[in-house]
Amino acid sequence: MNKTAVMLTSILATSLAQPAAIAGPEEDRAAFVRYFQSRFPDVEFDEFANGIYAIDADSRRQWLEIEEFPPYEFAIEQGESEWQQTFANGRTFADCFAQPSDSIRAMYPRYEEARGEVVTLEIALNDCRAANDEEPYAYDAEELIDLTAFLAFEARGKAVAVRIPADQPGAIAAYEDGKRFYYSKRGQLNFACSDCHITSVGQRVRADRLGPSLGHTTHFPVYRSKLGGMIGLQQRFLGCIRDVRAKPFELQSTEYRNLEFFLAYMSNGLMINGPGARK
Amino acid sequence: MAPARASSRNNSLLLLLSTLAMAACTTQFEREYAEAERWRAAAAAAGHEWIETSRLLEQAEATADAGNMDVAFELLGKARFQAEAAVRQAEREAEAWRVRVIK
Repeated sequence: MNKTAVMLTSILATSLAQPAAIAGPEEDRAAFVRYFQSRFPDVEFDEFANGIYAIDADSRRQWLEIEEFPPYEFAIEQGESEWQQTFANGRTFADCFAQPSDSIRAMYPRYEEARGEVVTLEIALNDCRAANDEEPYAYDAEELIDLTAFLAFEARGKAVAVRIPADQPGAIAAYEDGKRFYYSKRGQLNFACSDCHITSVGQRVRADRLGPSLGHTTHFPVYRSKLGGMIGLQQRFLGCIRDVRAKPFELQSTEYRNLEFFLAYMSNGLMINGPGARK
Repeated sequence: MAPARASSRNNSLLLLLSTLAMAACTTQFEREYAEAERWRAAAAAAGHEWIETSRLLEQAEATADAGNMDVAFELLGKARFQAEAAVRQAEREAEAWRVRVIK
């Protein structure tokens, strides 16, 4: 047997002995972080929590001015008032959660084995209302967004820590579904989330620059100047999907929840710094 | 044959032919509409429906109801094109997304 044949046989034997390696969530996250750090070597890891302001000096200067009188302050105050509101049965939101208010935001999104699905903070808050015989909020309701603004503010400085236990195949499946969604082209413009927020990150789309996906979930909900109000993360998803001319999914659909799960996992280790302010 | 009777018979014939043509056109529209709707539903099931497809189908139907069949078929053609392209996109992306994953 000549040398080439021996080598080929060896490669074949190796490939048959080991199944094709599929990167797990942690390998994905490490590669994700490495990519953005190599694209923006002067940006510290923690800075990616600031989204576009980590990589665009002009926008950052404007943002720092805006932060002098944060436009989301009213939302925080309203959210706190909602949080303390007493339901008709005498209970409050705090009674639904075992943790103090500064530790709730970091728990979501999470995969709940018993339900077999990803639960977001918005879902958990509405579940609390339903459990107390109160009407759940619409997922774009101001009251709900204000509540998430308050809980994000309370959680500032806590690290994103999404867990995907290896012994929970449902959690891994939800993560993989979100990952597939993120990297799939869709809509009439044939764009994937990754086309804008990985491949073209930092490039201009009309007057704005495209933000990095690393850190995308840390600062929501955000006050959007162009809308003159607060929006949640999934409303931003909906806007992006509409912008590539695909039919948007419902807020808190399985698609968006799994996408949030994937993206939040990619930002593990970054600090929660919501609510934020964006153009 | 008296001219008045001949004219009346011609008018009836024209009306009959026109009704038959309209019926054929409507049947063809319904057939093509159902086909376009099948493609749209397949795109939606794959999670890849485009934003304008449903609206184009609704417009095509309303235009057909108003009797403007040329425009109705044009709108239907656009809807069918979009729905089919969305299904092809979903088929392509079933595997194509993997090459974009950061490694």
